[in-house]
Amino acid sequence: MNAITGRTTQPHDAAASVPEWPTSRLRVPKLPRPVIAAPVLVIALMLLCAIVPGWLAPFDPTDMDGDAVLQAPSAAHLLGTDNFGRDLFTLLIYGARESLLLGACAVVLGGVAGGLIGLVAGTGGRAVDMVLMRLMDIWMSVPDILLAIVIAASLGASTTNTILAVGVVTIPRYARVMRAQVIATRSRSFVEASRQVGSSPVSVVLRHILPHTLSPMLVMVTLGVANAILIGASLSFIGLGVVDDRPDWGFLLSQGRSYLGVAWWFATLPGLAITALVVSINMLGDALRNRLDPRLRGARQSGT
Amino acid sequence: MPTRREFAALIAGGTLAVSRAFAAPPATTPKPGGELVFALDGAAVVTFLLDPHNSGFAPHNRVFRSIFDSLVVLRPDQSVGPWLAQSWQVAPDQKSYTFQLRRGVTFHDGTPFDAASVKANLDRISDPKNALVALPDIGPYAGADVLAPDTVRINLSEPFAPLLRNLSKTTLGIVSPAAVAKYGATFGQNPVGTGPFRFVSLIQGTEIRLARNEDYQWAPDGASHQGPAYLERLTFKNVPEEATRVAALQSRQVHAADTIPPQALAALRADPTFRVLDKELLNNNYALYPNIARAPWNDEQIRLALRLSLDIDTIVRVIYLGTLPRAWAPLSPSIFASAEHDLAKSWKPDPKRAADILQANGWLPGASGIREKDGKRLTISFIDTQGNREKRLDVIQLVRRQLAKTGFDLSIDSQPAGTYVAKMSNGEYDLAGASQFAPDPDVLRRLHLPDGRDKSSVSKVDDPEISQWLRDGMRENEPEARAELYHKVQAKLIDKTYALPIYVLQYNIGTTDAVSGVTIDTHGFPQFHGAWLATA
Amino acid sequence: MAYLLRRIAGAALVVFGATSMVFLILYWLPGDPATLVAGEGATAETIARIRAHLGTGRPLWDQYMSYLDNLAHGDLGTSFATGEPVLHRLWAQAMPTLDLTLLACVVAIVVGVVMGVVSAVHRGRWLDHAIQAALLLFTSMPSFWLGILLIMVFAVTLRWLPAIGNGSLAQLVLPVACLGLIAAGKLARMVRNSVIEVLDEPFVTTLRAKGLTERSVLFRHVLRNALIPVVTLLGILAGELLSGAVVTETLFARQGVGRILVEAVGVKDIPVVQGVILFAAVFYVLINLLVDLSYVVIDRRVRV
Repeated sequence: MNAITGRTTQPHDAAASVPEWPTSRLRVPKLPRPVIAAPVLVIALMLLCAIVPGWLAPFDPTDMDGDAVLQAPSAAHLLGTDNFGRDLFTLLIYGARESLLLGACAVVLGGVAGGLIGLVAGTGGRAVDMVLMRLMDIWMSVPDILLAIVIAASLGASTTNTILAVGVVTIPRYARVMRAQVIATRSRSFVEASRQVGSSPVSVVLRHILPHTLSPMLVMVTLGVANAILIGASLSFIGLGVVDDRPDWGFLLSQGRSYLGVAWWFATLPGLAITALVVSINMLGDALRNRLDPRLRGARQSGT
Repeated sequence: MPTRREFAALIAGGTLAVSRAFAAPPATTPKPGGELVFALDGAAVVTFLLDPHNSGFAPHNRVFRSIFDSLVVLRPDQSVGPWLAQSWQVAPDQKSYTFQLRRGVTFHDGTPFDAASVKANLDRISDPKNALVALPDIGPYAGADVLAPDTVRINLSEPFAPLLRNLSKTTLGIVSPAAVAKYGATFGQNPVGTGPFRFVSLIQGTEIRLARNEDYQWAPDGASHQGPAYLERLTFKNVPEEATRVAALQSRQVHAADTIPPQALAALRADPTFRVLDKELLNNNYALYPNIARAPWNDEQIRLALRLSLDIDTIVRVIYLGTLPRAWAPLSPSIFASAEHDLAKSWKPDPKRAADILQANGWLPGASGIREKDGKRLTISFIDTQGNREKRLDVIQLVRRQLAKTGFDLSIDSQPAGTYVAKMSNGEYDLAGASQFAPDPDVLRRLHLPDGRDKSSVSKVDDPEISQWLRDGMRENEPEARAELYHKVQAKLIDKTYALPIYVLQYNIGTTDAVSGVTIDTHGFPQFHGAWLATA
Repeated sequence: MAYLLRRIAGAALVVFGATSMVFLILYWLPGDPATLVAGEGATAETIARIRAHLGTGRPLWDQYMSYLDNLAHGDLGTSFATGEPVLHRLWAQAMPTLDLTLLACVVAIVVGVVMGVVSAVHRGRWLDHAIQAALLLFTSMPSFWLGILLIMVFAVTLRWLPAIGNGSLAQLVLPVACLGLIAAGKLARMVRNSVIEVLDEPFVTTLRAKGLTERSVLFRHVLRNALIPVVTLLGILAGELLSGAVVTETLFARQGVGRILVEAVGVKDIPVVQGVILFAAVFYVLINLLVDLSYVVIDRRVRV
């Protein structure tokens, strides 16, 4: 306990960095301010690209125009063409789906599995808690990408394997957050009251504990999508990515890097797309955290 | 009135122009000394096992050429000339070759090179316990006899036409028997040969350092000079990322870099401060091989439909931007008995006919354009392990696109080396691609003759006619008759779509203008013996 | 003291767990090391002989026990592929990775703390917003994209710095910048939030009322308190930096553990893979141990 501020610090939960959360249930963010509007718009646009790419894209992504290889942006091809003569604008639009899919699935895998582990750890008693958290420590001691490489390189390159690799790697952090929240919540008076009344443990968990874990998990998941996309891009870069008809942005970037000298658009724009998406997700995650975490509300007044 | 800045620019520009006009012509006298740093495309193989007898991997063999010499050298006209062997005679029954060896040659560890060393080398390769990759290169080797310290007779159980050319390969380079005895399994990290450069040190996966062999006096026939190399040191840096490799050259951080990608070649060639050399690599061209042991690829008609769906000219043009020619024959054009000339333009893409063939065989268009027969989709699993080396996966992407138009569904199965070998051995794939550098048409035998062929070989061909031609070709020493046999083999390989050659590799090296005398030998491997640096 | 011993024991456990986990993963994944080492054209006898030599035919428990036994004697085994002792191989490759990671850590700390503090002190004003925007950008871009841009600008166009290599200090600049700047971004945001929180604490107002200069308040009191969560983040960042080093090594053609990991996994060179993971786990655990110890220094009243 910090003698000066009287606040207890919990070093190992820094990943969550939110030891205490509001007592009320999941908060829905209020009206969007400008700083939230922009990222939401960008994400919405990318979601649109992911869901109905055919509406927005001028070409078919598999159209290879052998005579228009590596062309600079022009009227015919707004963002230029790649080394196969495919329209880059079209590829970026279709790529949104692959990138978002990777991010979403990996996060769902990590979040659900990690959440379950954290839930069990938080409600299962001290022994279970200790064992599970030690396991999570072990898991976390191996750096992200190294573990992802081991998994992806051994299984071979495929979308499923990449999602698996990225998802598995992120399980511990979700487990940690969930566990911290569960522990914080379960000692609260209304949970005690519920138990006294005789509600079954399962119902206690479902009706009282879980809803309070959703806020921090939501923030982590939001940021997790961004992280998953970046790890996936790194895997592609190293050569463990999927070689597909519908390339994701990471793969395009790793292809394009060899052409930086002759076709800057090919290498730069997919990177820009990734960065824009990740920036937007980060901004959204930050905004969510600001709204949902009381501790930072003070900071918010000072103009975050 | 020009601003001060504009004025300065004018002066600078003027000075530059004047100095260029009066620039001294490039020096032509080799200057000894200096270290040449060479950025090698090691294709992400991070383990250096510098044992020439045990590597079929071209990038490493490019390093071997500087450390190890061969008995003979391959001349541009595909004949062999003297090197460590000064002369030789072939017995009338063609089952033994007697070599008179050069005298005064020593290994880097000081031990003498003599007939016994040659015998030790060949015995080592032929010993099945050693399981060395170079074994097929010595064919029906049946031991060697040391007739005198400088005379050795190589015995064969039957005539073997490729012998002399194979002896010019790095894979049959001469290693020091003493070093092999001394290092055993770790010889690959302590290579000792007779070459113009001796091994100094290596950092696994990253760099190989060589230093001049001061005692060198035995350069091959046709070399720029006989004595030691000019360069004091030669360092190979492994830079598999093509963007980084080109950047390193352009920023002059290295003196030379190889395998410059097509998109960077134009810029380098246009820049007067850089030079580009290129030469055809003597190669069994990169080709696609259907797994004919698996249905429906055992059906010649289906394979034909596959071939006719492909427009290889377009593929090569788009991927290689005009820097590489398309390959018509399995053997690259300069190899003895290459059928490139005969087979050029021997067939045209015909997607319509391909569609008709498939239709006639019961493969009807199904959902999303992919053909189906008896509920089974016309899928092709292309297996790969080396990644986008030489832009091969880019080629496959285009292949996939073209095949889709006819109704094939190709998917790429990328596997790590271990799983790749396993799947290849078990036949769990439909299409694979491979190339093998070689100076002699006998390389076709290694692929397409079932006897003694590795289970994981990319070719599953078992055709009695082809087998017989290959066996005969191996024994036939009369050039015309021999060439005839291999022409027949190549024609049939293409006709039956056992192999689908794609491109002819032009191995290239980019150097700064400070580098002179780097050459590419007849095999297509870089030579540094005659290289020197202007800024040494 | 007891605290220290307990933490070390815990750390050892984590490291042990990590290598065991990887051992299991590799054991179960497809591929037979003996076939790969034997190479093309090997007979069944040769493969069997090699398998006996490598010991990979034995049951799982046997292999595991041998491994642990060797480990206890400081023997990391010999590489299946090259016959070199793993420790020797790792030592050569680990130094450059460590150089890169630690230097990037230093850059991250210096740049991160400075940016974070400046931003916090000027919160709400344009400097704060500008720095925040820049940081957001840095933490959102894929590291190899930043790397390519750095190479293009500084190595090829301006020719100020070398593009590749690991010999000289100059060759470290671009890779360290690439890694360090991105980590600095993450750190800075955390520093900023942390400092702002502390600045809002009542005790700061008290200190100011007592007449202490702003600078004294900042350096002697605020920073100390703000540092705890920051130091924790550092522990996590160290792991991420190691991950990032893998990608950076590939891009800048440097020696390092990441590159050998990919190939070793591919040929099932299990001793090498285990060695790399062991190295990474030890590094991560050591850093976190240091982090824990630093709490004691920063706040003398922290006891667990």
